[in-house]
Amino acid sequence: MQGTNKKIFIADDDADILQIIAMMLQTQGYEIDISNNANDIFNYAEEELPDLILLDIWMSGIDGREICARLKKGQLTKDIPVLFVSANSSIEEIAKKYKADGFIAKPFEMDYLLDRISSFVTVQN
Amino acid sequence: MEELTAQLSEANEIIEAIRKGEVDAFVVKNEDKHEVYTLQSADKAYRIFIEKMNEGALTLNKEGLIVYSNSSFANLINIPLENVIGFSFKDFIPAAYKKVVAEIMKAAWQNQESKGEIMLTGKLKTVPVLLSMNMLEIDGGMALSVIATDITLQKETQQHKKAMDKKDEFISIASHELKTPVTSIKGYVQLLRFNFQKEGNNTAAELLTKVDVQINKLTNLIGDLLDVKKIENGQLQYHEDRFDFNVLVDEIIEETGRVLNKHTIVASLAESRIMYGDRNKIGQVITNLLENAGKYSPSGSIITVQTSVKDGKIKLSIKDRGIGIPKEQLGKIFERFFRVSSETENTYAGLGLGLYISSEIIKRHHGTIGVDSKEGNGSTFYFELPVAP
Repeated sequence: MQGTNKKIFIADDDADILQIIAMMLQTQGYEIDISNNANDIFNYAEEELPDLILLDIWMSGIDGREICARLKKGQLTKDIPVLFVSANSSIEEIAKKYKADGFIAKPFEMDYLLDRISSFVTVQN
Repeated sequence: MEELTAQLSEANEIIEAIRKGEVDAFVVKNEDKHEVYTLQSADKAYRIFIEKMNEGALTLNKEGLIVYSNSSFANLINIPLENVIGFSFKDFIPAAYKKVVAEIMKAAWQNQESKGEIMLTGKLKTVPVLLSMNMLEIDGGMALSVIATDITLQKETQQHKKAMDKKDEFISIASHELKTPVTSIKGYVQLLRFNFQKEGNNTAAELLTKVDVQINKLTNLIGDLLDVKKIENGQLQYHEDRFDFNVLVDEIIEETGRVLNKHTIVASLAESRIMYGDRNKIGQVITNLLENAGKYSPSGSIITVQTSVKDGKIKLSIKDRGIGIPKEQLGKIFERFFRVSSETENTYAGLGLGLYISSEIIKRHHGTIGVDSKEGNGSTFYFELPVAP
């Protein structure tokens, strides 16, 4: 499987979405870490150094945009690709503004999600 | 005797004032109304100026009585002039605004220019006005000049804008809220399909593909509503880049062909050109035209996609063998919310937004969009876009 040993972190406050994305990624053998609380994402990212982070823009009062901006400033985390996953209709502009590496608009195609992720984690190594 | 002397002296002063042109009007107080005798003053030019202006203009004395009013003020509150002059300005202020007006007057008496938005009590309804007060010196005596500008229209415009902003906000929230469950439904459907395919249960997988197609239609409708909102507010963002036109057309034909699997799409494309524009949005236009061709033509019929290049422009046309468009509806087809209808065929789904959005996208790319059609004889939709320099 192409994704073996690649670790993906998913942050979304919707339990269904977490389950869906996790199951989709597992079909490709990715290792998954999920969180519905993005508060601890910095410590997590610095310790675990995931290969890619999928980030919802708005999670029950927590602003994914600020998290992205902080990750991109952190010495240890700045090279981890971050993709926004959101139903926000301005997702493309937001991704550009906060220096995310890309975005996946909700609702998304399973094939598209897997293609996008594989393009990032394959380039990385 | 003393009283009489005082009265005589006052009368003399009044006569003197009239001679000098200092007095604008006499008010004779009766029980139910005041009679007003307006005088010609030396400042006739200013008097005409003030009489003819659209704003209400008043002069108030120290007690707050209206000693002068132009006819615009009387018209503003729809009360005859003789029932304005000689009355207290406070009589025309609703209770809720008395405090604000008192503050404006206080500031004006301190020789500060003072303004505020208040309501005036009119005969039939209260009138919103912008009040502006200034202290005036009239031959040693002090008075207040009052300008009252009718702001009914501004208020209405503001309220309309607020309502529109609320509507926009609602559409944004509603579309986000609609997309969230759709995302879950779509995700689970795709996972189920993946699992059925793996097990070799093709029937189940095909049924779930049909569910997925319907989910995409729902997603597109939500997207159309958002696009219209953004077009109306000039917020639709375009991400322009160079792209190969034929690659895009082939991609869209392949994608849409999967949905329009009961039609045959025949493509005849001229040599490709490099375009400059928003690839996704131009793709959205082609998808829209193809889907319309499918929607308005019978199953099994052919849809022809053709491109040609001339004078630095690329033209794409999509021809169907469908019901066509009645001549009188041709001019309206790119209007918002417009949907083709006829007496016999009236059951086509849609919000009537697709062609409106398409025409806006093509216009933004400095192109043209159009249609040739004859009722009962199919339609050919086309657009023309400049190729990249």
